[in-house]
Amino acid sequence: MLRLPVSWARILAIFLRILQQFRRDRRTLALMFTVPVLVILLVGYVVRSSEASLSVAVVEETVDPTSSFSAGGELLTALEQAGSVRAEGLPRAEAEEQLDDGDVQGIVYLNYAAQAGTAIPKLDVELLLEGTNPQDSGAIVRAVQRGLLQVAVTGLGISLGLPELSPQELVTVEVSYVYGGPEFDFVDYEAPALIGFFAFFFVFLLTAVSFLRERSSGTLERLMAAPINRSEVVLGYMLGFGFFALIQSLAILMAAVIILRIHYEGHLLLVFLIAAIITVGSVNLGIFLSTFARNELQVIQFVPVVLVPQGLLGGVIWSVDSLPGWLQVVSRCLPLTYAIDALRNTMIKGQGLADSGVLGNVLVMVGFAAFFVLLASRTVRQQVD
Amino acid sequence: MATETAIESQGLSKRFGAVDALRDVALSVPVGQTYGLLGPNGSGKTTFIRLVAGLLRATAGRLTVLGEPMPSRRILADIGYMPQTPALYLELTVRENLLFFARIYGAADRDRVEEVLAVVGLAERADSPVYALSGGMRQRTSLACALVHRPRLLLLDEPTVGVDPPLRVAFWQYFRRLNQEGVTILVSSHVMDEAERCDRLVLLRGGRILAEGSAGELRQQAGAPTLEEAFLHYAEVAGELG
Repeated sequence: MLRLPVSWARILAIFLRILQQFRRDRRTLALMFTVPVLVILLVGYVVRSSEASLSVAVVEETVDPTSSFSAGGELLTALEQAGSVRAEGLPRAEAEEQLDDGDVQGIVYLNYAAQAGTAIPKLDVELLLEGTNPQDSGAIVRAVQRGLLQVAVTGLGISLGLPELSPQELVTVEVSYVYGGPEFDFVDYEAPALIGFFAFFFVFLLTAVSFLRERSSGTLERLMAAPINRSEVVLGYMLGFGFFALIQSLAILMAAVIILRIHYEGHLLLVFLIAAIITVGSVNLGIFLSTFARNELQVIQFVPVVLVPQGLLGGVIWSVDSLPGWLQVVSRCLPLTYAIDALRNTMIKGQGLADSGVLGNVLVMVGFAAFFVLLASRTVRQQVD
Repeated sequence: MATETAIESQGLSKRFGAVDALRDVALSVPVGQTYGLLGPNGSGKTTFIRLVAGLLRATAGRLTVLGEPMPSRRILADIGYMPQTPALYLELTVRENLLFFARIYGAADRDRVEEVLAVVGLAERADSPVYALSGGMRQRTSLACALVHRPRLLLLDEPTVGVDPPLRVAFWQYFRRLNQEGVTILVSSHVMDEAERCDRLVLLRGGRILAEGSAGELRQQAGAPTLEEAFLHYAEVAGELG
């Protein structure tokens, strides 16, 4: 257990030493800051360019015999305004040829059919998707649905025989968002997750390796022969690595906000607080697990054991709610799940520490951190004894 | 705390699992002397040193260090420990290593750091990172780290392994100077000619004491011309008895 009081001078000595070691190890330092920034920028560019590169063909096979209104033309206008997919009006044969060639990823077929009992014909819409990429398919479906909504609004005005009124005056469909917005995309969703993931990843890995070196080089034994206690060693490590984790979080955040212009509603101090709690947990988990590694390669073996499951199930890419039930249970046992949820709630929803979406997660994280502190403090001396 | 005995052990035993590393060791190390632990690998030298350094708890027996019954954290500040391997932070410079250990001992005194650097002859390499140093220089840095907080008791676990003869001589000259300043030195070695330089010696084998005394006494009692032959004599006697 932690024994207090501690000497700040000794904790500071370890903190300064970690800073000095980092200053000498420029490559690790560079990796710690450039890799996360690069990853978030890549995610940003890939996600955004792939959405903009989607195109659909609109095939209007018949026209409304009762009016001059063209549903196809309206849909093209609507899609163009929305801007998420490109659209082009084409005859059927050419559209299908382009779909085969991969020039378009979907075809919208529009057909008017006579309706019994009314002069107003019914508009049948069919959407044919290329379909190999579910993410693309989803984006097209959403874009076409939104476009059709606008067509319906416009068409309604025409059908009512009030051509002098613009559709907006007649019916206003106002889309509003609780969180995010119309330009809100995957990058906005990803940025908080990457801050959490990289804070955990680097701090865990670097602590485990540094501590392994302390053990194998004998410096830990030397420390233990000095009047320093375990909690001072652990606190010094937390300060040292926490310092770099916060700078790293700031770097990711700046890249995301300034370069990718994500929708950031959060409070910087709260993001730091969450990153700091992540650090406390991962420093201690690193110290604990370093006991079970004999060399650096064995530390790397913890990556698939500790980091990959958290990356897959912690909500980094797929939201926890979309997982099958039993996997959700697993993901509720992983500390990163709570960290990422807390970061999303503050960065996207702008929640403060007092909001349940942050506070609940933060409390669970503190619980995890305390558990790892306990594990670490029990094993700091191991291999020395 | 006026004490004439720096280290005193009675019936001291340490067991690792099924292995007896030390068995019933009774020793008395006088203040201000250089006391040698002599024996082959696995004889219990390092175990004894680590018990004195507070790194291990004895399985049985009593151990008093500088008047404090061990284990005691309070006394650790008065002990300097030099492990068998250099045990340094490779990325840090020699000076940074020294300052770090000085701070850990609550003795961050830059003048003292420079003084110790001069003693081990590393003043000119003070700003070199340890990874750039030769084995001998690392060994000297390691000794400096054990000295930087002015310990009253210095524990040296095979300090001259891999150290070339001129440096070895320099080390021993410095140990003598420390003795004159009242510092007690406990040093382990398996090199016989080095043991000759100690004030008193204990011969260890299999965790047991074979014999104790000054090098001259040990040779004389065994009727052997060299310490090496004396060691073999005592080992034989112990073998006949045990």
